[in-house]
Amino acid sequence: MLTVESTSDASNTTTSSLSLFVETPDVSSNPDDLNGLRFTEGASEETSLQSFWQRWQAEIKVFASTFLTIFLAELGDKTQLTTLLMSAESQSPWTVFAGAGAALILTSLLGVLVGSWLAKRVSAKTLEKAAAVMLLVIAALLIWDVITS
Amino acid sequence: MDWHLLGLSFVTVFISELGDKSQMAAIALSGSSKSLRAVFLGTCAALLLASFLGVMLGGSLSQFLPVRWVKMAAAAGFVVMAIRLLLNGETGEDDTAEKIEQV
Repeated sequence: MLTVESTSDASNTTTSSLSLFVETPDVSSNPDDLNGLRFTEGASEETSLQSFWQRWQAEIKVFASTFLTIFLAELGDKTQLTTLLMSAESQSPWTVFAGAGAALILTSLLGVLVGSWLAKRVSAKTLEKAAAVMLLVIAALLIWDVITS
Repeated sequence: MDWHLLGLSFVTVFISELGDKSQMAAIALSGSSKSLRAVFLGTCAALLLASFLGVMLGGSLSQFLPVRWVKMAAAAGFVVMAIRLLLNGETGEDDTAEKIEQV
């Protein structure tokens, strides 16, 4: 990118405004610059809006399925029982909620970071299989909880 | 603000949650999903709501909540997600394309 700019400047030394004008479409058509897609002409703007909407829908789907399963799995779990007992004992539920909430945000952040770290190193196919096995193990643990309780 | 209680509840929950089901689920889902942000926000929201209900409702929670059925529903949800991960071979290419775009 930098080398292209320097060569065009060297060739068009007389008209610097023209060389600037030539350079701008280069920047927007650069595949590395994803934000540049939004500033291009009408036809591609529509498709970028469409892909934005599709991505948004996919994100909502991921959010909803993650939220529902983890919420249901966590209801009545040992962490919830611990916080429940602590708030009953201390009579200050907001303090317990603040401490527990901070810990939960940190553990889920660590989990997501480990997941993304793995995603960069392991191939997508292997990772999907491993994730599926992991989810099945979690399901088995939950069923075991129900049987033993 | 009772700092001792705050620290105690933080450390207790952090240790009991580390390597627990929900964190394993967060690892599995973020590794295989398109959007890390959505997985992180979904996990956080679910955990915060669950602990909020636990703290605020206290002992009365287990009386009106069919915990066994809720856990079975969660297990069914995880099984469905696992099967979907195992079956979608053609969307796997989409995933990698999306990841390359993000990087």
